[in-house]
Amino acid sequence: MEIEFQRVGKKYESGQEALSQVSFHLQQGEMAFLTGHSGAGKSTLMKLMMMIERQTSGQIIVDGVDLRTLSRRAIPQHRRRVGVVFQNHQLLFDRSVFHNVALPLQVSGADPQQIAKRVRAALDKVGLLDKEKYNPMALSGGEQQRVGIARAVVNKPQLLLADEPTGNLDPKLSAEIMNLFQEFNRVGVTVLVASHDLALVARMRHRVLTLSQGRMVSGGGFG
Amino acid sequence: MTQKPNQRGATRESIKATQHHWPTRSAFQPGKYLRQHQATLTESFMRLLSYPLASVMTVMVIAIALSLPGGLYVLLKNVHSVTDQWEQQSVITLYLFPELEDTQALALSHRLSAQADIASVEYISKEEGLRYFERSSGYEQIMSSLPENPLPIVLRVIPKADVDVSTLPSLQALRDQLASQKEVDYAELDAQWLQRLANILSFGQRFVYALSVLLVVAVLLIVGNTIRMAVESRRNEVLVMKLVGATDAYIRRPFLYMGFWFGVLGGFFASLCILLLSWWVSSPAQRLIELYQSGLQLQTFNADEIVLCLTISAFVGVIGAWIAVSRHIANIELQ
Repeated sequence: MEIEFQRVGKKYESGQEALSQVSFHLQQGEMAFLTGHSGAGKSTLMKLMMMIERQTSGQIIVDGVDLRTLSRRAIPQHRRRVGVVFQNHQLLFDRSVFHNVALPLQVSGADPQQIAKRVRAALDKVGLLDKEKYNPMALSGGEQQRVGIARAVVNKPQLLLADEPTGNLDPKLSAEIMNLFQEFNRVGVTVLVASHDLALVARMRHRVLTLSQGRMVSGGGFG
Repeated sequence: MTQKPNQRGATRESIKATQHHWPTRSAFQPGKYLRQHQATLTESFMRLLSYPLASVMTVMVIAIALSLPGGLYVLLKNVHSVTDQWEQQSVITLYLFPELEDTQALALSHRLSAQADIASVEYISKEEGLRYFERSSGYEQIMSSLPENPLPIVLRVIPKADVDVSTLPSLQALRDQLASQKEVDYAELDAQWLQRLANILSFGQRFVYALSVLLVVAVLLIVGNTIRMAVESRRNEVLVMKLVGATDAYIRRPFLYMGFWFGVLGGFFASLCILLLSWWVSSPAQRLIELYQSGLQLQTFNADEIVLCLTISAFVGVIGAWIAVSRHIANIELQ
Protein backbone atom coordinates (compact mmCIF):
# COMPACT_ATOMS: atom_id res chain seq x y z
CA MET A 1 0.00 0.00 0.00
CA GLU A 2 1.23 3.44 -0.88
CA ILE A 3 0.55 6.33 1.46
CA GLU A 4 0.96 10.02 0.92
CA PHE A 5 0.31 12.78 3.48
CA GLN A 6 0.09 16.26 1.97
CA ARG A 7 0.22 19.10 4.49
CA VAL A 8 -2.12 17.24 6.82
CA GLY A 9 -3.43 19.04 9.88
CA LYS A 10 -5.63 17.88 12.72
CA LYS A 11 -7.17 20.42 15.00
CA TYR A 12 -9.54 19.24 17.73
CA GLU A 13 -12.69 21.11 18.62
CA SER A 14 -11.06 22.11 21.87
CA GLY A 15 -8.63 24.15 19.76
CA GLN A 16 -5.69 21.84 20.42
CA GLU A 17 -3.63 21.29 17.28
CA ALA A 18 -2.40 17.67 17.22
CA LEU A 19 -0.83 17.76 13.75
CA SER A 20 0.03 20.58 11.42
CA GLN A 21 1.43 20.62 7.90
CA VAL A 22 2.54 17.00 8.05
CA SER A 23 3.80 15.68 4.71
CA PHE A 24 5.45 12.38 3.92
CA HIS A 25 5.29 9.58 1.40
CA LEU A 26 5.50 5.88 2.19
CA GLN A 27 6.28 3.77 -0.86
CA GLN A 28 4.58 0.53 -1.62
CA GLY A 29 6.40 -2.19 0.37
CA GLU A 30 8.42 0.27 2.45
CA MET A 31 9.11 -0.02 6.17
CA ALA A 32 9.51 3.07 8.34
CA PHE A 33 9.50 4.16 11.96
CA LEU A 34 7.61 7.03 13.45
CA THR A 35 9.19 8.56 16.54
CA GLY A 36 8.68 11.51 18.76
CA HIS A 37 7.87 12.31 22.37
CA SER A 38 4.55 11.33 23.78
CA GLY A 39 2.04 13.95 22.70
CA ALA A 40 3.98 14.68 19.51
CA GLY A 41 1.08 13.36 17.40
CA LYS A 42 2.10 9.75 16.65
CA SER A 43 -1.19 8.25 17.75
CA THR A 44 -3.19 10.93 15.97
CA LEU A 45 -1.33 10.17 12.75
CA MET A 46 -2.11 6.46 13.15
CA LYS A 47 -5.78 7.26 13.81
CA LEU A 48 -5.99 9.31 10.63
CA MET A 49 -4.60 6.37 8.65
CA MET A 50 -7.20 4.08 10.25
CA MET A 51 -9.94 6.65 9.64
CA ILE A 52 -10.74 6.60 13.35
CA GLU A 53 -10.44 10.35 13.05
CA ARG A 54 -10.52 12.66 10.03
CA GLN A 55 -7.97 15.33 9.25
CA THR A 56 -9.06 18.95 9.38
CA SER A 57 -6.78 20.08 6.57
CA GLY A 58 -4.58 18.62 3.83
CA GLN A 59 -4.89 15.33 1.98
CA ILE A 60 -4.20 11.71 2.84
CA ILE A 61 -3.88 9.60 -0.29
CA VAL A 62 -3.88 5.82 0.03
CA ASP A 63 -3.20 3.89 -3.18
CA GLY A 64 -4.29 6.90 -5.17
CA VAL A 65 -7.52 7.40 -3.24
CA ASP A 66 -8.10 10.54 -1.23
CA LEU A 67 -9.47 9.35 2.13
CA ARG A 68 -11.71 12.42 2.27
CA THR A 69 -13.73 10.98 -0.61
CA LEU A 70 -14.57 7.85 1.38
CA SER A 71 -17.89 7.90 3.21
CA ARG A 72 -18.51 6.52 6.69
CA ARG A 73 -19.86 3.35 5.11
CA ALA A 74 -16.57 2.74 3.32
CA ILE A 75 -14.51 2.80 6.52
CA PRO A 76 -14.86 -0.94 7.37
CA GLN A 77 -13.58 -1.85 3.89
CA HIS A 78 -10.61 0.47 4.36
CA ARG A 79 -9.80 -1.03 7.77
CA ARG A 80 -9.84 -4.55 6.38
CA ARG A 81 -6.88 -3.61 4.22
CA VAL A 82 -4.93 -2.28 7.21
CA GLY A 83 -3.60 -4.42 10.05
CA VAL A 84 -3.06 -2.69 13.39
CA VAL A 85 -1.05 -3.65 16.46
CA PHE A 86 -1.59 -1.72 19.68
CA GLN A 87 0.58 -1.25 22.70
CA ASN A 88 -2.15 -2.65 24.94
CA HIS A 89 -2.88 -5.21 22.22
CA GLN A 90 -6.70 -4.94 22.63
CA LEU A 91 -7.25 -8.67 22.94
CA LEU A 92 -10.58 -10.05 24.10
CA PHE A 93 -10.31 -12.20 27.18
CA ASP A 94 -13.69 -13.88 26.79
CA ARG A 95 -12.43 -16.12 23.98
CA SER A 96 -9.46 -18.23 23.00
CA VAL A 97 -6.33 -17.13 21.15
CA PHE A 98 -7.75 -18.80 18.04
CA HIS A 99 -10.96 -16.77 18.15
CA ASN A 100 -9.11 -13.54 18.83
CA VAL A 101 -7.05 -14.02 15.71
CA ALA A 102 -10.11 -15.16 13.73
CA LEU A 103 -12.03 -11.93 14.44
CA PRO A 104 -10.98 -9.94 11.32
CA LEU A 105 -11.93 -12.89 9.11
CA GLN A 106 -15.26 -13.41 10.89
CA VAL A 107 -16.33 -9.82 10.49
CA SER A 108 -15.62 -9.97 6.76
CA GLY A 109 -17.73 -13.13 6.50
CA ALA A 110 -15.07 -15.66 5.47
CA ASP A 111 -16.15 -19.29 5.56
CA PRO A 112 -15.15 -21.32 8.65
CA GLN A 113 -12.69 -23.67 6.88
CA GLN A 114 -10.87 -20.74 5.32
CA ILE A 115 -10.79 -19.04 8.73
CA ALA A 116 -9.23 -22.05 10.46
CA LYS A 117 -6.57 -22.36 7.76
CA ARG A 118 -5.60 -18.70 7.82
CA VAL A 119 -5.66 -18.39 11.62
CA ARG A 120 -3.28 -21.35 11.99
CA ALA A 121 -1.00 -19.91 9.32
CA ALA A 122 -0.88 -16.56 11.15
CA LEU A 123 -0.28 -18.21 14.55
CA ASP A 124 2.46 -20.31 12.97
CA LYS A 125 4.18 -17.16 11.71
CA VAL A 126 4.30 -15.66 15.21
CA GLY A 127 5.27 -19.02 16.76
CA LEU A 128 2.11 -19.60 18.81
CA LEU A 129 0.52 -22.46 16.92
CA ASP A 130 0.52 -24.65 20.03
CA LYS A 131 -1.35 -22.03 22.08
CA GLU A 132 -4.45 -21.55 19.95
CA LYS A 133 -6.81 -22.98 22.57
CA TYR A 134 -5.43 -20.85 25.43
CA ASN A 135 -7.14 -17.82 26.84
CA PRO A 136 -4.89 -14.83 26.04
CA MET A 137 -4.96 -13.95 29.74
CA ALA A 138 -2.85 -17.08 30.38
CA LEU A 139 -0.08 -15.86 28.06
CA SER A 140 2.93 -13.69 28.81
CA GLY A 141 3.14 -10.07 27.68
CA GLY A 142 5.33 -10.91 24.70
CA GLU A 143 3.04 -13.75 23.67
CA GLN A 144 -0.02 -11.52 23.96
CA GLN A 145 1.65 -9.00 21.70
CA ARG A 146 2.36 -11.75 19.18
CA VAL A 147 -1.32 -12.77 19.26
CA GLY A 148 -2.09 -9.11 18.49
CA ILE A 149 0.30 -9.27 15.54
CA ALA A 150 -1.21 -12.53 14.28
CA ARG A 151 -4.63 -10.85 14.38
CA ALA A 152 -3.26 -7.84 12.49
CA VAL A 153 -1.83 -9.95 9.66
CA VAL A 154 -4.43 -12.76 9.42
CA ASN A 155 -6.34 -10.77 6.80
CA LYS A 156 -3.13 -10.36 4.73
CA PRO A 157 -3.29 -6.57 4.95
CA GLN A 158 -1.43 -4.31 2.55
CA LEU A 159 -0.45 -1.97 5.37
CA LEU A 160 0.66 -2.89 8.87
CA LEU A 161 0.49 -0.17 11.51
CA ALA A 162 1.94 -0.64 14.98
CA ASP A 163 1.48 1.86 17.80
CA GLU A 164 4.19 1.35 20.43
CA PRO A 165 4.16 -2.43 19.95
CA THR A 166 7.12 -2.94 22.27
CA GLY A 167 6.07 -0.44 24.90
CA ASN A 168 5.85 -2.92 27.76
CA LEU A 169 8.41 -5.48 26.62
CA ASP A 170 12.04 -6.10 27.54
CA PRO A 171 14.75 -5.45 24.89
CA LYS A 172 15.08 -9.08 23.78
CA LEU A 173 11.31 -9.51 23.23
CA SER A 174 11.18 -6.10 21.56
CA ALA A 175 13.84 -7.14 19.07
CA GLU A 176 11.88 -10.32 18.32
CA ILE A 177 8.72 -8.35 17.66
CA MET A 178 10.60 -5.94 15.38
CA ASN A 179 12.05 -8.88 13.47
CA LEU A 180 8.53 -10.16 12.90
CA PHE A 181 7.55 -6.84 11.36
CA GLN A 182 10.59 -6.97 9.15
CA GLU A 183 9.57 -10.41 7.91
CA PHE A 184 6.14 -9.18 6.91
CA ASN A 185 7.76 -6.22 5.18
CA ARG A 186 9.97 -8.62 3.24
CA VAL A 187 6.90 -10.22 1.60
CA GLY A 188 5.66 -6.86 0.38
CA VAL A 189 3.58 -5.40 3.21
CA THR A 190 4.06 -1.68 3.86
CA VAL A 191 4.93 -1.28 7.55
CA LEU A 192 4.86 1.79 9.79
CA VAL A 193 5.87 1.39 13.41
CA ALA A 194 5.40 4.16 15.97
CA SER A 195 7.95 3.87 18.75
CA HIS A 196 9.77 6.12 21.18
CA ASP A 197 12.48 3.48 21.72
CA LEU A 198 15.14 5.39 19.77
CA ALA A 199 17.94 2.87 20.37
CA LEU A 200 15.88 0.04 18.94
CA VAL A 201 14.74 2.17 16.02
CA ALA A 202 18.34 3.11 15.20
CA ARG A 203 19.41 -0.54 15.11
CA MET A 204 16.71 -1.45 12.62
CA ARG A 205 18.16 0.70 9.80
CA HIS A 206 14.91 1.88 8.25
CA ARG A 207 13.67 5.32 7.43
CA VAL A 208 12.73 7.28 10.55
CA LEU A 209 9.98 9.90 10.56
CA THR A 210 10.22 12.21 13.54
CA LEU A 211 7.31 14.21 14.89
CA SER A 212 7.68 17.04 17.32
CA GLN A 213 4.74 19.06 18.61
CA GLY A 214 2.59 17.98 15.68
CA ARG A 215 5.15 18.78 12.98
CA MET A 216 7.25 16.44 10.89
CA VAL A 217 10.78 17.53 11.76
CA SER A 218 12.78 14.91 9.88
CA GLY A 219 12.40 11.99 7.45
CA GLY A 220 9.38 13.50 5.70
CA GLY A 221 10.87 13.46 2.20
CA PHE A 222 10.67 10.64 -0.27
CA GLY A 223 12.31 7.52 1.10
CA MET B 1 -6.88 13.94 -6.24
CA THR B 2 -9.78 11.81 -7.47
CA GLN B 3 -10.49 8.13 -7.07
CA LYS B 4 -8.54 5.89 -9.44
CA PRO B 5 -9.74 2.31 -9.19
CA ASN B 6 -7.50 1.17 -12.04
CA GLN B 7 -4.42 2.38 -10.30
CA ARG B 8 -5.46 0.56 -7.17
CA GLY B 9 -5.94 -2.63 -9.15
CA ALA B 10 -2.54 -2.29 -10.76
CA THR B 11 -0.88 -1.78 -7.42
CA ARG B 12 -2.59 -4.84 -6.11
CA GLU B 13 -1.42 -7.01 -8.97
CA SER B 14 2.14 -5.86 -8.53
CA ILE B 15 2.34 -7.40 -5.06
CA LYS B 16 2.72 -10.96 -6.24
CA ALA B 17 4.66 -12.08 -3.21
CA THR B 18 1.78 -11.68 -0.79
CA GLN B 19 -1.01 -13.04 -3.04
CA HIS B 20 -3.79 -10.87 -1.67
CA HIS B 21 -7.24 -12.22 -1.37
CA TRP B 22 -9.48 -9.32 -0.44
CA PRO B 23 -13.08 -9.61 0.53
CA THR B 24 -15.02 -7.66 -2.05
CA ARG B 25 -17.81 -5.33 -1.15
CA SER B 26 -20.01 -5.76 -4.17
CA ALA B 27 -20.58 -9.53 -4.27
CA PHE B 28 -23.69 -10.51 -2.33
CA GLN B 29 -23.61 -14.14 -1.28
CA PRO B 30 -26.96 -15.37 0.10
CA GLY B 31 -25.43 -18.55 1.54
CA LYS B 32 -22.87 -16.63 3.52
CA TYR B 33 -25.49 -14.15 4.67
CA LEU B 34 -27.87 -16.85 5.92
CA ARG B 35 -25.06 -18.70 7.66
CA GLN B 36 -24.07 -15.52 9.48
CA HIS B 37 -27.66 -14.83 10.53
CA GLN B 38 -28.25 -18.34 11.77
CA ALA B 39 -25.03 -18.28 13.77
CA THR B 40 -25.97 -14.89 15.25
CA LEU B 41 -29.47 -16.11 16.18
CA THR B 42 -28.01 -18.97 18.21
CA GLU B 43 -25.19 -16.88 19.61
CA SER B 44 -27.48 -14.10 20.79
CA PHE B 45 -29.67 -16.63 22.60
CA MET B 46 -26.58 -18.02 24.33
CA ARG B 47 -25.71 -14.48 25.36
CA LEU B 48 -29.06 -14.17 27.12
CA LEU B 49 -28.32 -17.40 28.97
CA SER B 50 -24.96 -16.08 30.08
CA TYR B 51 -26.76 -13.41 32.15
CA PRO B 52 -29.65 -15.57 33.38
CA LEU B 53 -30.92 -13.35 36.19
CA ALA B 54 -30.87 -10.07 34.27
CA SER B 55 -32.43 -11.74 31.22
CA VAL B 56 -35.20 -13.41 33.23
CA MET B 57 -36.02 -10.11 34.91
CA THR B 58 -36.20 -8.23 31.63
CA VAL B 59 -38.33 -10.95 30.05
CA MET B 60 -40.69 -10.95 33.03
CA VAL B 61 -41.10 -7.16 33.03
CA ILE B 62 -41.95 -7.34 29.32
CA ALA B 63 -44.34 -10.25 29.97
CA ILE B 64 -46.18 -8.36 32.70
CA ALA B 65 -46.34 -5.18 30.65
CA LEU B 66 -47.82 -7.09 27.72
CA SER B 67 -50.20 -9.29 29.70
CA LEU B 68 -52.07 -6.28 31.06
CA PRO B 69 -53.47 -5.05 27.71
CA GLY B 70 -53.74 -8.67 26.58
CA GLY B 71 -55.86 -9.56 29.59
CA LEU B 72 -58.10 -6.53 29.11
CA TYR B 73 -58.46 -7.50 25.48
CA VAL B 74 -59.70 -10.96 26.49
CA LEU B 75 -62.11 -9.39 28.98
CA LEU B 76 -63.48 -7.08 26.30
CA LYS B 77 -63.82 -9.99 23.91
CA ASN B 78 -65.96 -11.84 26.46
CA VAL B 79 -68.15 -8.83 27.14
CA HIS B 80 -68.66 -8.53 23.38
CA SER B 81 -69.64 -12.16 23.01
CA VAL B 82 -72.19 -11.76 25.82
CA THR B 83 -73.68 -8.58 24.40
CA ASP B 84 -73.83 -10.11 20.92
CA GLN B 85 -76.42 -12.51 22.31
CA TRP B 86 -78.36 -9.85 24.18
CA GLU B 87 -78.65 -7.65 21.21
CA GLN B 88 -80.87 -10.04 19.28
CA GLN B 89 -83.64 -9.70 21.85
CA SER B 90 -84.50 -6.09 21.19
CA VAL B 91 -88.12 -5.32 20.43
CA ILE B 92 -90.24 -2.33 19.63
CA THR B 93 -93.21 -2.12 21.95
CA LEU B 94 -96.31 -0.34 20.60
CA TYR B 95 -98.87 1.00 23.11
CA LEU B 96 -102.10 1.53 21.20
CA PHE B 97 -104.78 4.12 22.07
CA PRO B 98 -106.98 2.71 24.89
CA GLU B 99 -110.23 3.43 23.03
CA LEU B 100 -109.15 1.25 20.10
CA GLU B 101 -111.24 -1.83 19.36
CA ASP B 102 -109.74 -5.30 19.26
CA THR B 103 -110.53 -5.70 15.57
CA GLN B 104 -108.71 -2.50 14.65
CA ALA B 105 -105.72 -3.58 16.69
CA LEU B 106 -105.66 -7.00 15.06
CA ALA B 107 -105.83 -5.39 11.63
CA LEU B 108 -102.82 -3.26 12.50
CA SER B 109 -101.02 -6.34 13.78
CA HIS B 110 -101.61 -8.15 10.47
CA ARG B 111 -100.58 -5.13 8.47
CA LEU B 112 -97.33 -4.81 10.37
CA SER B 113 -96.54 -8.54 10.12
CA ALA B 114 -96.58 -8.17 6.36
CA GLN B 115 -94.03 -5.35 6.47
CA ALA B 116 -90.65 -6.36 4.98
CA ASP B 117 -88.45 -5.33 7.89
CA ILE B 118 -90.57 -6.93 10.59
CA ALA B 119 -90.17 -10.59 11.55
CA SER B 120 -93.17 -11.05 13.81
CA VAL B 121 -95.75 -9.20 15.85
CA GLU B 122 -97.01 -10.43 19.19
CA TYR B 123 -100.46 -9.33 20.16
CA ILE B 124 -101.10 -8.69 23.86
CA SER B 125 -104.71 -7.99 24.63
CA LYS B 126 -105.88 -5.79 27.50
CA GLU B 127 -106.78 -8.87 29.55
CA GLU B 128 -103.47 -10.55 28.96
CA GLY B 129 -101.74 -7.34 29.93
CA LEU B 130 -103.73 -7.13 33.13
CA ARG B 131 -102.98 -10.73 34.08
CA TYR B 132 -99.31 -10.17 33.40
CA PHE B 133 -99.36 -6.96 35.39
CA GLU B 134 -101.08 -8.59 38.35
CA ARG B 135 -98.64 -11.49 38.30
CA SER B 136 -95.51 -9.45 38.24
CA SER B 137 -96.17 -6.13 39.92
CA GLY B 138 -97.76 -7.08 43.21
CA TYR B 139 -100.42 -4.37 42.71
CA GLU B 140 -103.22 -6.96 42.63
CA GLN B 141 -105.30 -5.14 45.24
CA ILE B 142 -105.14 -1.82 43.52
CA MET B 143 -105.80 -3.35 40.11
CA SER B 144 -108.83 -5.21 41.27
CA SER B 145 -110.19 -2.12 42.97
CA LEU B 146 -110.20 -0.22 39.66
CA PRO B 147 -113.59 0.03 37.94
CA GLU B 148 -112.21 -1.03 34.57
CA ASN B 149 -109.00 -2.26 32.96
CA PRO B 150 -106.79 0.83 32.37
CA LEU B 151 -104.23 -0.97 30.21
CA PRO B 152 -104.05 -0.47 26.44
CA ILE B 153 -103.56 -3.15 23.82
CA VAL B 154 -99.84 -3.77 23.31
CA LEU B 155 -98.07 -5.01 20.17
CA ARG B 156 -94.56 -6.42 20.57
CA VAL B 157 -92.89 -5.93 17.22
CA ILE B 158 -89.76 -8.00 16.56
CA PRO B 159 -87.74 -6.47 13.71
CA LYS B 160 -86.18 -8.69 11.06
CA ALA B 161 -82.78 -7.02 11.17
CA ASP B 162 -80.41 -8.33 13.81
CA VAL B 163 -80.33 -5.65 16.36
CA ASP B 164 -76.93 -4.40 17.27
CA VAL B 165 -74.96 -1.22 17.48
CA SER B 166 -74.62 -0.89 13.73
CA THR B 167 -78.34 -1.33 13.00
CA LEU B 168 -79.42 1.01 15.75
CA PRO B 169 -80.14 4.00 13.44
CA SER B 170 -82.34 1.96 11.08
CA LEU B 171 -84.20 0.59 14.11
CA GLN B 172 -84.85 4.04 15.41
CA ALA B 173 -86.22 4.92 11.97
CA LEU B 174 -88.53 1.91 12.16
CA ARG B 175 -89.67 2.99 15.61
CA ASP B 176 -90.52 6.46 14.27
CA GLN B 177 -92.42 4.94 11.38
CA LEU B 178 -94.44 2.76 13.76
CA ALA B 179 -95.10 5.67 16.11
CA SER B 180 -96.65 7.60 13.25
CA GLN B 181 -99.36 4.97 12.73
CA LYS B 182 -102.70 6.47 13.68
CA GLU B 183 -103.54 3.57 16.04
CA VAL B 184 -100.28 3.92 17.97
CA ASP B 185 -100.21 6.07 21.06
CA TYR B 186 -96.58 5.50 21.94
CA ALA B 187 -93.78 3.37 20.45
CA GLU B 188 -90.80 2.38 22.52
CA LEU B 189 -87.61 0.93 21.16
CA ASP B 190 -86.08 -1.04 23.96
CA ALA B 191 -82.62 0.11 22.93
CA GLN B 192 -81.52 2.92 25.14
CA TRP B 193 -79.55 0.47 27.20
CA LEU B 194 -78.03 -0.75 23.94
CA GLN B 195 -76.92 2.76 23.13
CA ARG B 196 -75.36 3.07 26.56
CA LEU B 197 -73.71 -0.30 26.30
CA ALA B 198 -72.28 0.61 22.91
CA ASN B 199 -70.82 3.75 24.44
CA ILE B 200 -69.35 1.89 27.38
CA LEU B 201 -67.86 -0.73 25.08
CA SER B 202 -66.25 1.80 22.78
CA PHE B 203 -64.92 3.60 25.83
CA GLY B 204 -63.48 0.31 27.07
CA GLN B 205 -61.99 -0.41 23.69
CA ARG B 206 -60.27 2.95 23.49
CA PHE B 207 -59.04 2.55 27.03
CA VAL B 208 -57.46 -0.79 26.11
CA TYR B 209 -55.91 0.69 22.96
CA ALA B 210 -54.42 3.64 24.83
CA LEU B 211 -53.11 1.37 27.57
CA SER B 212 -51.63 -0.96 24.93
CA VAL B 213 -49.82 1.90 23.23
CA LEU B 214 -48.42 3.11 26.56
CA LEU B 215 -47.27 -0.34 27.60
CA VAL B 216 -45.76 -1.08 24.18
CA VAL B 217 -43.77 2.13 24.55
CA ALA B 218 -42.74 0.92 28.01
CA VAL B 219 -41.56 -2.38 26.52
CA LEU B 220 -39.64 -0.42 23.89
CA LEU B 221 -37.86 1.49 26.64
CA ILE B 222 -37.19 -1.63 28.74
CA VAL B 223 -35.67 -3.49 25.80
CA GLY B 224 -33.75 -0.39 24.73
CA ASN B 225 -32.27 0.08 28.17
CA THR B 226 -31.31 -3.57 28.57
CA ILE B 227 -29.67 -3.62 25.15
CA ARG B 228 -27.86 -0.38 25.83
CA MET B 229 -26.37 -1.94 28.95
CA ALA B 230 -25.47 -5.05 26.97
CA VAL B 231 -23.62 -2.90 24.43
CA GLU B 232 -21.87 -1.06 27.24
CA SER B 233 -20.73 -4.32 28.85
CA ARG B 234 -19.31 -5.41 25.50
CA ARG B 235 -17.78 -2.08 24.68
CA ASN B 236 -14.30 -3.49 24.27
CA GLU B 237 -15.50 -6.15 21.88
CA VAL B 238 -17.40 -3.59 19.82
CA LEU B 239 -14.29 -1.40 19.73
CA VAL B 240 -12.02 -4.20 18.53
CA MET B 241 -14.54 -5.39 15.95
CA LYS B 242 -14.73 -1.89 14.52
CA LEU B 243 -10.94 -1.69 14.36
CA VAL B 244 -10.68 -4.90 12.37
CA GLY B 245 -13.24 -3.69 9.85
CA ALA B 246 -16.65 -4.84 11.08
CA THR B 247 -19.53 -2.90 9.55
CA ASP B 248 -22.04 -1.24 11.88
CA ALA B 249 -24.67 -3.67 10.59
CA TYR B 250 -22.50 -6.63 11.58
CA ILE B 251 -21.98 -5.26 15.10
CA ARG B 252 -25.62 -4.33 15.45
CA ARG B 253 -26.94 -7.74 14.41
CA PRO B 254 -26.36 -9.77 17.61
CA PHE B 255 -27.97 -6.99 19.65
CA LEU B 256 -30.99 -6.85 17.37
CA TYR B 257 -31.38 -10.60 17.76
CA MET B 258 -31.09 -10.14 21.50
CA GLY B 259 -34.00 -7.68 21.29
CA PHE B 260 -35.86 -10.23 19.19
CA TRP B 261 -35.40 -12.91 21.86
CA PHE B 262 -36.47 -10.57 24.64
CA GLY B 263 -39.60 -9.74 22.65
CA VAL B 264 -40.48 -13.31 21.74
CA LEU B 265 -39.87 -14.66 25.24
CA GLY B 266 -41.75 -11.73 26.80
CA GLY B 267 -44.68 -12.33 24.42
CA PHE B 268 -44.61 -16.03 25.18
CA PHE B 269 -44.81 -15.53 28.92
CA ALA B 270 -47.45 -12.82 28.50
CA SER B 271 -49.59 -15.30 26.56
CA LEU B 272 -48.97 -17.89 29.24
CA CYS B 273 -50.03 -15.39 31.94
CA ILE B 274 -53.25 -14.61 30.09
CA LEU B 275 -54.06 -18.31 29.59
CA LEU B 276 -53.42 -19.02 33.28
CA LEU B 277 -55.45 -16.01 34.34
CA SER B 278 -58.39 -17.00 32.10
CA TRP B 279 -58.25 -20.51 33.50
CA TRP B 280 -58.20 -19.15 37.04
CA VAL B 281 -61.26 -16.92 36.60
CA SER B 282 -63.08 -19.37 34.33
CA SER B 283 -65.25 -21.14 36.92
CA PRO B 284 -66.70 -18.06 38.68
CA ALA B 285 -67.05 -16.34 35.31
CA GLN B 286 -68.84 -19.35 33.85
CA ARG B 287 -71.29 -19.32 36.77
CA LEU B 288 -71.87 -15.61 36.24
CA ILE B 289 -72.55 -16.19 32.56
CA GLU B 290 -74.97 -19.00 33.35
CA LEU B 291 -76.99 -16.65 35.52
CA TYR B 292 -77.79 -14.52 32.49
CA GLN B 293 -77.57 -16.80 29.54
CA SER B 294 -76.93 -20.45 28.98
CA GLY B 295 -74.77 -22.04 26.31
CA LEU B 296 -72.16 -19.30 26.25
CA GLN B 297 -68.51 -20.33 26.23
CA LEU B 298 -65.88 -18.31 28.09
CA GLN B 299 -63.37 -16.98 25.55
CA THR B 300 -59.62 -16.93 26.08
CA PHE B 301 -56.51 -16.28 23.95
CA ASN B 302 -56.77 -18.41 20.80
CA ALA B 303 -53.89 -19.58 18.60
CA ASP B 304 -54.17 -16.63 16.19
CA GLU B 305 -54.04 -14.15 19.03
CA ILE B 306 -51.01 -15.86 20.59
CA VAL B 307 -49.22 -15.67 17.23
CA LEU B 308 -50.20 -12.00 16.92
CA CYS B 309 -48.98 -11.29 20.46
CA LEU B 310 -45.62 -12.98 19.73
CA THR B 311 -45.24 -11.13 16.43
CA ILE B 312 -45.96 -7.75 17.96
CA SER B 313 -43.64 -8.35 20.92
CA ALA B 314 -40.81 -9.65 18.70
CA PHE B 315 -41.20 -6.60 16.46
CA VAL B 316 -41.20 -4.23 19.43
CA GLY B 317 -38.11 -5.99 20.81
CA VAL B 318 -36.19 -5.53 17.58
CA ILE B 319 -37.24 -1.87 17.25
CA GLY B 320 -36.26 -1.17 20.87
CA ALA B 321 -32.87 -2.76 20.31
CA TRP B 322 -32.38 -0.85 17.07
CA ILE B 323 -33.04 2.50 18.70
CA ALA B 324 -30.67 1.72 21.58
CA VAL B 325 -27.89 0.27 19.49
CA SER B 326 -27.62 2.51 16.45
CA ARG B 327 -26.53 5.66 18.18
CA HIS B 328 -24.51 3.89 20.80
CA ILE B 329 -22.36 1.88 18.40
CA ALA B 330 -21.50 4.94 16.32
CA ASN B 331 -20.06 6.59 19.42
CA ILE B 332 -17.70 3.77 20.35
CA GLU B 333 -14.29 4.48 18.84
CA LEU B 334 -10.71 4.19 20.00
CA GLN B 335 -9.89 7.15 22.21
